[in-house]
Amino acid sequence: MTGMKDTFRVINRMVENGVIGSYAITGAVAALNYIEPALTDDLDVLISVDAPSLQSTTGLVTLEPVFRYLRQAGYTEFRKEGVVIEGWAVQFLPVANALDSEGLDQAVDVEIEAGGGESPIKVRTLRAEHVVANALQVDRPKDRIRISQFLTEDAVDLVALRDVLDRHAMLAAWVTFCARTGIANPYDAKFPT
Amino acid sequence: MKVPSTRVYPDVSDILARKEEGRRELAARSFGEKIDILEAMRARVEPIRKAREERRKKRPPPAGT
Repeated sequence: MTGMKDTFRVINRMVENGVIGSYAITGAVAALNYIEPALTDDLDVLISVDAPSLQSTTGLVTLEPVFRYLRQAGYTEFRKEGVVIEGWAVQFLPVANALDSEGLDQAVDVEIEAGGGESPIKVRTLRAEHVVANALQVDRPKDRIRISQFLTEDAVDLVALRDVLDRHAMLAAWVTFCARTGIANPYDAKFPT
Repeated sequence: MKVPSTRVYPDVSDILARKEEGRRELAARSFGEKIDILEAMRARVEPIRKAREERRKKRPPPAGT
């Protein structure tokens, strides 16, 4: 058994076993829920830092319990900073800022078909507006392409996105993104100043 | 070489429109279906990825290392 659906099963088991608290798929795979599929090699998983297992005695967050659990389950290979689970390099990203925290809190459950008559797999993933805001924050060329896909495919609620950008002081970064990519700022027409 | 200004190019707008339609059709599929598509895409490029890794392994280390 290998494949991303099995990877999701392992992650859900980690939640059931208390290894991680809440989680949300982020990055390219989260974008997949909303836009045309694009090739990616890894799976990014945003995780809550509230799980007792992740708190060290010094109060710092440690991912060692996550890796220990996975080692014990036989997942010992690392690829591109990710631990390989059922063929996919999974990178566990602890919540690192207010945007991550909000994205995790507001993440949505998606059921995906398991095939073979098995019950569907529940996966928690970021909302479109948080995927876009996250891409804007990371701001690599591939993130800028992803944002433009969300816009051209009408895959993000522009009002919800503007609220997120406003709450997290990212409106200036948005204007810069539009200027750099030559994309007409949708807010110029919708929210004239 | 300068292209003569009288040259007539074919109208490809219908091709572009079909491509756009295809992209929208893909985007509208379920998350599960898109994951299956992603797995298939990944399997197709796997031989290329492996060949690239092999090339990297064979490459001599940069001078001075």
